[in-house]
Amino acid sequence: MPRVLLIATAALLVLGIPVAFGGTQADPGITPTSIHIGGTVPLSGSAQAFQSVAKGADAYFKYVNARGGVNKRKINYEYLDDQYIPSETVRQTRVLVEDKDVFAIFNSLGTEQNEATRPYLNTKDVPQLFVATGGTTFGRDRQQYPWTIAYQPTYIAEGAMYGSYIRRTQPKAKIAILYQDDSYGGDLVKGLERGLGPRKSNIVSRVSYSATDDNVQSQIARLRSSKAGILMLFATPKFVIQAYQYVNGLGWKPKIFVNAVSSASNVMVLSSSQGKNKRVEGSISIVFLKDPNDPKWAKDPAVLLYRKIMKKYARGSNIKDVYNLYGMSVAFTFVDALKHAGKSPTRASLMRAATHLNERNNPFLLPRMSVRTTSTDHYPLDQARLQRWHNGRWISFGGLLKARS
Amino acid sequence: MTEFLQQVVAGLASGSIYALLALGIVIIYRSTGIVNFAQGEMATFTTFIAWTLVDHGLGYWAAFPLTLLIAFAGGIALERTIVRRVEGGPVITAVILTIGLFILLGGLSNWIWKAEVRSFPPDRPFPTSAWDLGGVAISKQDAGILAITVVLVVALWALFQLTKLGLALRASALNPTASRLVGIRVGWMLALGWGLAAALGAVAGLFTAAASPPLDPNMMRPVLIYALAAAVLGGLESPVGAIIGGLAIGVLLNLVVTYDTHIHLDLDRMRIPIAFLMILIVLLVRPSGLLGRSVVRRV
Amino acid sequence: MSRLTTVRAAVTAVALLAGIVLMYFAPHADRIGYIKGAQLGTYFIAILGLNIVTGYTGQISLGHGAFMAIGGYTTAILVSEHGVRDLWTIPIAALVAGLAGFIVGVPALRLSGLYLALATFGLALAMPAILSWDKLDAVTKSGHEIQLFNSPHLIGKGFEDVHFLGRTLPFNHAVYYLTWGIALVLLVVAWLILRGAPGRAFRAVRDSELAATSSGVHVATYKTLAFAISAAYAGIAGSLFVIALAFADPQSFPATLSLTLLVGAAVAGLGSLWGVLAGAAFVQFLPDFAVHISKAQGVPDTVYGAALILIVLLLPTGVAGGLRRALSPLTTRLYTRSQS
Repeated sequence: MPRVLLIATAALLVLGIPVAFGGTQADPGITPTSIHIGGTVPLSGSAQAFQSVAKGADAYFKYVNARGGVNKRKINYEYLDDQYIPSETVRQTRVLVEDKDVFAIFNSLGTEQNEATRPYLNTKDVPQLFVATGGTTFGRDRQQYPWTIAYQPTYIAEGAMYGSYIRRTQPKAKIAILYQDDSYGGDLVKGLERGLGPRKSNIVSRVSYSATDDNVQSQIARLRSSKAGILMLFATPKFVIQAYQYVNGLGWKPKIFVNAVSSASNVMVLSSSQGKNKRVEGSISIVFLKDPNDPKWAKDPAVLLYRKIMKKYARGSNIKDVYNLYGMSVAFTFVDALKHAGKSPTRASLMRAATHLNERNNPFLLPRMSVRTTSTDHYPLDQARLQRWHNGRWISFGGLLKARS
Repeated sequence: MTEFLQQVVAGLASGSIYALLALGIVIIYRSTGIVNFAQGEMATFTTFIAWTLVDHGLGYWAAFPLTLLIAFAGGIALERTIVRRVEGGPVITAVILTIGLFILLGGLSNWIWKAEVRSFPPDRPFPTSAWDLGGVAISKQDAGILAITVVLVVALWALFQLTKLGLALRASALNPTASRLVGIRVGWMLALGWGLAAALGAVAGLFTAAASPPLDPNMMRPVLIYALAAAVLGGLESPVGAIIGGLAIGVLLNLVVTYDTHIHLDLDRMRIPIAFLMILIVLLVRPSGLLGRSVVRRV
Repeated sequence: MSRLTTVRAAVTAVALLAGIVLMYFAPHADRIGYIKGAQLGTYFIAILGLNIVTGYTGQISLGHGAFMAIGGYTTAILVSEHGVRDLWTIPIAALVAGLAGFIVGVPALRLSGLYLALATFGLALAMPAILSWDKLDAVTKSGHEIQLFNSPHLIGKGFEDVHFLGRTLPFNHAVYYLTWGIALVLLVVAWLILRGAPGRAFRAVRDSELAATSSGVHVATYKTLAFAISAAYAGIAGSLFVIALAFADPQSFPATLSLTLLVGAAVAGLGSLWGVLAGAAFVQFLPDFAVHISKAQGVPDTVYGAALILIVLLLPTGVAGGLRRALSPLTTRLYTRSQS
């Protein structure tokens, strides 16, 4: 009865799948010799360029492990692909928590992505550490979500820095904004308005685009017709590169502000088309990390360390990619928190350490920057400097400014 | 008014890319009866090959024709080895095959070249400035793209209408059996169709990389959608329809999204649904497309 | 219908039921298996539905992911905005998606073959964008992404344990049984429909619309009916998907999902129900398997695409067809009656 055989096989399959995946109950991710953490980043899809935040962190952990780890524990950092889709983030995070039994979720990327998993992780008392996004909500909503903590300066704070700078230096200039139509772009705009204060009315044109668009050519054309003297690019690297090209192609010469997420020097160099595109010159952004491509830091011990670690533990990766350095910075902070979580860390003790940081020696951050958190302040990084692109590199100016929401 | 013209000009430039890809889809459909869902990924793959050539020192304008040649050869190889096995079979089999190709080529592009941000071409092949015609800025790159597209389309037309080879190609698509009877090697004609389509795709890919930087493995996904819309709009069998369809979609999409500020329908994310809606309306009114042949089935 | 096939069907149903019941008492299995098993069940239901419209009436749909989205969002909106118990939303999702299927089925009558495939593909492409449309906020209220976690109307809100018939089940187990229980019921329903008059009408339409009309089959009715039923199936699958994840967002149902479903239906073997499990297993496990081979970028897709092409070339009639061919020497020897 061959058909019955087929049927029996089918039943076995249905029966067997969960058994086939069967494993043993494990402690939540920590042993005397290891600690298992996990996160999600887009390894494929439109945002896959951001995956270096995980690669850089991974390289740093390997370096730390080679030196004995933290309190004799080696850090096992696993990152899964969520394709930048929030429901995939949920799925993969559940895999990490329920199947791989990670101790904590670390360095997951994306605003909507982390928002999607936040209720789940907070209900399960799993630390959601140092989310790789500038969404203000991750620091602001600490009372509702005590297991979540942000890292980089928020987008609102960043926008406010641009706003107050424009208010001080060009109070009469008309402003046009290209922004991504989600909370990332929206927060930057909100911050800009806050920083502009009474000059908010100088914003004459704001045009959004969707991350799923193929190009922003028509948006730039529309912004150009506003004849504004300042253009804010609150967009991801792909669209920033395009924007510079279209602005140049249309003969428009505004002063350009580009948000930190897209200000990596490799992106700026690409946008300048080997120097042919002059619109890049004079662009302004903020910075809180040491740029490995900046000659100013060429001999800096942190950058040298960065290069050494990348060469040894991240062969084949692009050293010019600044997101790798970001990854190392956040990994450094994680190690710091872990050290302060005690000889036998628990999730609660790690969380406590992460919310009571007083880190002044993070080599990857700008000098005199510190990573500070308290139980009422879940914004680890709240300082930055303004920088200007000149002759192929970023030059910071002004002092270290407060970047608070 | 200048705003309107500006958007039309920009739309014509992006539309010519859609038209080129759509033309490739139509040529393949006319010859082998298959809708090639992998057309976009083929374009991406060949564009990455071009990048590799330039990265190894070849000048852009030398790499351009060489890439077309490689794409042409690749298309022929694809048809002769894999595609011919599903020709003449059930539609669904061909659909699944091209879907498989779509996934395979996408994976290969990612695997071989990875996801780094790279701009291509690194040296702007077209001058970066623009002409200003009464407030309307026409970028020289857009003009260049449009010009090359026109040249290619004319060249193809000449090939199909004025040469013996073109006659053989058309005959093979129209009536393979009769063509065989007069000695045309139909199999190779079909392969040639795929080769031409692949070359057209390569051009579309190269233009997309220039117009919508940076070069990344997913760049042709939206273009494929608009190209399919254009091909259907004009009727899957009509090359002229594909070109007009592509240009029309490029312009229309720009205009609709621009003038959305007046009608407040929040259309900035709706480019794809609008393209789909256009397809749907055309298909319902004229099921074989605006310029397609009305198929009358013999009872 | 021959008694043989009745017996076969009965045995299948019993075996599957036994499988599920046995699972209940199985030794403690890893939790993730239940998540993957539930996802397999979701694919199973959707592909089953797709098979009805594409396999049995020959209308190619590249848009069934959109129907899943409609069902999924119906559940999400009802649970989050209107406090409907999630289990009750499943039949509602089926109705809404079925209605959508009917609405699509009507204009589909004018389109044939590839044009229909392209039009439905357009629908699948448009759906994520439509779900993100700001103008729909009046309906979705909570924005495009809908978080159901912690909703009291979800079984096992917060992925807690679920109480059922006096036993406590972890959330993942509950979802697994829910999904497969529904899958089993839907399989039986599909079998009943297809073995009866509608099924014969469907097959007649697929084989020759002209002959069908001449035999008195009202082609238009059956074609749209097939669309509606298959869309309802997809809607249920989408609903279960959202319940399992307790989250819905526009990108959960991308155009590639519709492609995946069609691939699953083709691998299963169109026009046959038995291969659907294999088809669902293919689209579920092959990507996982490919990732196992190498996590390097692009490799999983390369493997998946290559496997797909190979299957198309070697097994054009899908698993069901292949099995039929492989087993036919046995069956023709044992049973002399012609098979239906």
